[in-house]
Amino acid sequence: MKAFVVCCHPDPESFTAAVMARAAEALRAAGHAVRSCDLYADGFDPAADVAGYSDSLRWCDALVFVYPTWWSGQPALLAAWLERMLESIGPDAPRLANVRRLITITTHGSSRFINLLEGETGRRVIGRAVRGVCHRYARTSWIALYGIDRSTPADRQAFLDRVAERMSRV
Amino acid sequence: MRVVVVVADPDPTGFTQAIAATARSALDGNGHDVTVLDLCGEGFRAAMSHDERAAYHSPRPLIDPMAERHAGIVKRAEALVFVYPTTLSTVPAVLKGWLERTLVPGVGFVFDEHHRVRPGLTDVRWLVGISTYRVSRSSVKLTHDNGRRVLMRALRLNTAVRTRRSWLALYEIDRRTPDERAAFLHRVERKLGAW
Repeated sequence: MKAFVVCCHPDPESFTAAVMARAAEALRAAGHAVRSCDLYADGFDPAADVAGYSDSLRWCDALVFVYPTWWSGQPALLAAWLERMLESIGPDAPRLANVRRLITITTHGSSRFINLLEGETGRRVIGRAVRGVCHRYARTSWIALYGIDRSTPADRQAFLDRVAERMSRV
Repeated sequence: MRVVVVVADPDPTGFTQAIAATARSALDGNGHDVTVLDLCGEGFRAAMSHDERAAYHSPRPLIDPMAERHAGIVKRAEALVFVYPTTLSTVPAVLKGWLERTLVPGVGFVFDEHHRVRPGLTDVRWLVGISTYRVSRSSVKLTHDNGRRVLMRALRLNTAVRTRRSWLALYEIDRRTPDERAAFLHRVERKLGAW
């Protein structure tokens, strides 16, 4: 599989960054080809287009998003990147039919219960709206840690292990 | 009533701005104290910075002057009106960024002694969302109206217990005739003029 891992967090030492590293490592260990990017480290400008990413977007067959869920959805910088991606797939450009897998790995400050109450909008945006411009039968996976604000180091380590395990059999 | 109208559309001549102008004039006409925050017009930065993230859980999370000014305005609000084009089934990125960077701990919500989230916008009694959609109403049902959920559920959880909610939607905006658009503006005027 050819996986393009897209990470979004302003802090390069964040738990999200650790999740990204662990996911990429596990995918490589399982024999997959991996390209990755970090929107903040890249200095992605929300108003710019995604031309710089289009090569990897067309190369991959799996898109992996790694980000913290804020206000029930993707952080604004990733939201902007997804908007620009959608714009680049206009009527003149073919849809991203090469993307057959959409994998999301995300953390939530609040509990699962609160997130369900809020409607898990981030999950729908990727699982439905983004999926709508990928391969017709693209499969989605959702790997989430809830209640990170009150988690222990052991909880977070267990999540990293869960991410590695899921990526090893993706 | 102190009303804050938050507008999120980069196109200064588009229909979103016409909706916002109608909303403002209907609210002004009823004697409300209206502040319009035109996020794109003001150049509001969508992405939270590294420093802002580091400050998020500190006693002073608002380190950007524009975010701080907006937060001060929202803290005094009794009604919030959001006007935006639904994009990828949700709010535009700039509006998402506004929620993240402005409605920080101490403004949008507060953490209690067990680090659980509790409402911060307890003066807000009315939440209004007005959105245009490229797609049809049935398409929106398939993807869910995620922008509406972010505002009417996630944000709603941080307002007063008896907060009223209103939603006005215009679907398939690209296919609407001038008369249909005008009719929608009239609906906006009636809805907001009723308070």
